[in-house]
Amino acid sequence: MSDKQGGATPKKDHGVLYLGMDLGTSRTSVSASNGVRESVYSVVGYPKDVVSMKLLKREVLFGKEAIDKRLSLKMFKPLEKGVLKHSTEATSPDAKDNLKAAQDLIGEAIRLAKPRKDELIYCVIGAPAEASIKNKAAIVEAARAHVDSVMLCSEPFSVAYGLDWLEDVLVIDIGAGTTDLCRMHGTMPEDQDQVMFHVAGDAVDLELQALMDKHCKGAQFTIQMVKDIKERYAFVGEPAERALVELPVNGKPTQFDITDQLQKACSILVDPIVQGLHKLVATFDPEFQMKLKNRVLLAGGGSLIKGLDTAIEKAMKERLGGGKVIKIEEPIYGGANGALKIAHDMPEEFWEKLK
Amino acid sequence: MGELRDTLKAAVRQMAFRTSLDNLKKQGVQQVNVLGIDRIIALVDEAVHRSLKSRLVGIEREAVATATKDEFLRLLKSNEHLQKQKGELEQLKDRAQDEVDQLRRELGQQQQALRTRLEHGALQQQQRYDGENAAIAQRVAELFTALAGEQPTLLTVQERVLELLLDVVAGERKTADAARAALNDHEVSLLQRRIDKLNDALAVTERRLKDVAALKNVDQGISSLYRQVQGLSDDDTYFRRKQELMAEIFSANYELQKRTGK
Repeated sequence: MSDKQGGATPKKDHGVLYLGMDLGTSRTSVSASNGVRESVYSVVGYPKDVVSMKLLKREVLFGKEAIDKRLSLKMFKPLEKGVLKHSTEATSPDAKDNLKAAQDLIGEAIRLAKPRKDELIYCVIGAPAEASIKNKAAIVEAARAHVDSVMLCSEPFSVAYGLDWLEDVLVIDIGAGTTDLCRMHGTMPEDQDQVMFHVAGDAVDLELQALMDKHCKGAQFTIQMVKDIKERYAFVGEPAERALVELPVNGKPTQFDITDQLQKACSILVDPIVQGLHKLVATFDPEFQMKLKNRVLLAGGGSLIKGLDTAIEKAMKERLGGGKVIKIEEPIYGGANGALKIAHDMPEEFWEKLK
Repeated sequence: MGELRDTLKAAVRQMAFRTSLDNLKKQGVQQVNVLGIDRIIALVDEAVHRSLKSRLVGIEREAVATATKDEFLRLLKSNEHLQKQKGELEQLKDRAQDEVDQLRRELGQQQQALRTRLEHGALQQQQRYDGENAAIAQRVAELFTALAGEQPTLLTVQERVLELLLDVVAGERKTADAARAALNDHEVSLLQRRIDKLNDALAVTERRLKDVAALKNVDQGISSLYRQVQGLSDDDTYFRRKQELMAEIFSANYELQKRTGK
């Protein structure tokens, strides 16, 4: 493990800190065995020039702070569609910049967990279920700079493991870049147990932006504003409240009712999810199909969309004859908590071999 | 046990705050109930034992009680150690700050002494120039007085004036060289050496002060719950299944890291 602060590496005799990390396109969450749980937007910003460096007094900014000061920063979102950007063309300058941003982001997530310098750090990172070998290697490389030993595991698997639901469960993990569906049957999920598609949080943002462009005549807004609106009002089914938002028109704040647009944009998630569920249920042992349908876990940031569980259940009833969807209690930390539990349960000799 | 009681006592004392009877009266308090520190300690002790008794049995209870006390003492000691470290760092910072102030004062005095010396030198030089100008004027006047008696040709006048000028210029060159040498005289160079030394010392001390200040703000981090690597608990409901899953996860990661050269 490198010591970025310089100087001699402290003797690690105080204890062992387990970390579970969910490295997401939109957010990176971390849960640690010292009780710390933190989440940061997966955004990294470096000062554009000497002037902004002097002004910001920092070499790198993360998350919300970076977004707020983005005009003075060269911005990186190191993850795209659930994987590291450009990781297949490792020697290009973009790939190198992006890998550095990912390393810094992982480092920041670990710093947020407030580890002691004299503790061993063992980390499990939830990686997208279908990430390529190169991509996984890039994530490991990024993490190794900050921890003593690191392992990757499939994101939906870590969600289920964290809840001790190891058999006959279907996990739906809706992230920003991808939606992952995973069938658990007591062993490690294989390729045929997993379905991944790119209709996820970012796709909802783009759809909502397009619908707002048509509906909110003359209004000016950015994709970040659209994302904020979605996080505040997102729903499917019957609206609990009208989504009234203020957007500038010629510099003047003007109110728009975008309830219908929000409902339409968020609903694009339902159909592909039910198709994926259909595929995973239909190819499962017929004896256990009913049990599987009634144990569907909804996780990830996308599960915060109000009424999504009910909408999926409704669609399942039409296409699969029924089903029960359970929303996990902490969608933002579900993956990180599960990864933490895996880290805890991993035997010492395995960690040692990967040091 | 005695050590725990003493430590608890010290902790209660440390957490308590002092107030006067007048202050209490001002807040409308007429009477106070007094609870002795030994009684508080006994109550804490009793509460811990009752709580353990109601939840645990036999050896387990004793083991948990001992472990809890040990952990409590360890935390208190760790806190004392941190407090001590903090105090030492603050003392170090204060000492470094005093040193910086002293060096700054000395530097100011030396700079003032140099300025005075240079100003004095400039004044002396001006006076010398005035005297030399008068001497040149005197020599030119003497030359023309001598020439007036001789009735010389224009060419003779030119030659004699040129001779005088060359003589004056040669003399001035000599004086200028001497003045330049004076600038580098022993005292000035000594002062400059002292200033250089002080500047270096100031830079070193400021750097040390910065390091100390940075050290003081270093976040020690939060200790993990675990002193040792854990692993699956033997009484886990899915022990066997989870053991297999852990082995599979490890195996996939081992392959990945081996293939990519770790």
